[in-house]
Amino acid sequence: MARSPVLFTGLMTDERQILANGLRQRDPEVLDRLIEQHQQRLYRYLLFLTGDPALSEDLFQETWIRVLERGHQYNAKSKFESWLLAIARHLVIDVSRRKKFSSLEELADPESHQPFEPPDDHAISVLQLLVAREDEQAVQLSLLKIPAYYREVLLLRFHEELGLEEIATVLATPISTVKSRLYRGLEALKSALPEGAA
Amino acid sequence: MSENLHHRAKQLFDESLVEGVSSADQSWLDAHLRDCAECSREIARTQQLLRSFRNVSVTIPRDLAARAQLRVRLRAQESAQSSPTSALLWVLTAASWVLGILSAPLVWRVFAWFGSQLNLPKPVLEFGFVLWWTVPALIAVAVILHQRSSSHGLAKRTDA
Repeated sequence: MARSPVLFTGLMTDERQILANGLRQRDPEVLDRLIEQHQQRLYRYLLFLTGDPALSEDLFQETWIRVLERGHQYNAKSKFESWLLAIARHLVIDVSRRKKFSSLEELADPESHQPFEPPDDHAISVLQLLVAREDEQAVQLSLLKIPAYYREVLLLRFHEELGLEEIATVLATPISTVKSRLYRGLEALKSALPEGAA
Repeated sequence: MSENLHHRAKQLFDESLVEGVSSADQSWLDAHLRDCAECSREIARTQQLLRSFRNVSVTIPRDLAARAQLRVRLRAQESAQSSPTSALLWVLTAASWVLGILSAPLVWRVFAWFGSQLNLPKPVLEFGFVLWWTVPALIAVAVILHQRSSSHGLAKRTDA
């Protein structure tokens, strides 16, 4: 028998509530399960934003420490993934401010119109090594050529397949801003991709 | 075919990716794509681009999850050990404040009596009274700072 949407939403909310209780109690089993479940998505998000595997590993661990320490703040109204990525995003912004990564600093204030500086060649080549298939490298490299705040929304929408509202939660920004960044990001990605690639 | 039609087709296609389009707009777009090879090519290229994008897979470093799990467990244990001490410290601080406020008139009388016995000037008495209040608080701050520096040291050793 097919589940009705209302019942399904109810079940989702119940699951989130159980999760929120586990986080509030700092239940190690719950955290272990969450780390297992979300490792791929979180690491990919961090790697796409920073272009630096070592930094992404550090931020990955730091994100989970924050989840442990701020678990009581998860209110079960939004999806856990959105909350997790929002925490990771704040950490990336903090690090980029400390280390002065101009491209990532724009994440905090993309409307500042600062000139964009692409990641250095080292970051690109390391990322190339991490990409499993060669034919995906053209897309990957094009992504690294576009500003971080476009790269971020494109990843969340077309790779992580988050809804507009969920992306707005991660970015703590209105849906209209998410949409405009997606449109501009698509344009930027198409322009960055070499002719005949993809 | 007018430039505007191509522009509209492109716009509708992007809209369908970002926020979705009405069925009427989708039908118009489908019809346009059947007749327009240029737009068809352009849209096929974008679709292929997004497919490649979705297929991009990233290799996760070995043991990354296990390392994170271990670090989270250690941090949880560490805070579980320090939290009862912190709670006790808060209770003691609160009790100390309450007792301090209640006993302040009596303490002042004792100070005044000693002052009269020893012929001490009033500013010295007042300074002594202030010390009576601040020294316990300063000791409590020192204890907390010492606890924090010890736990940070432990965390750094754990990370290393």
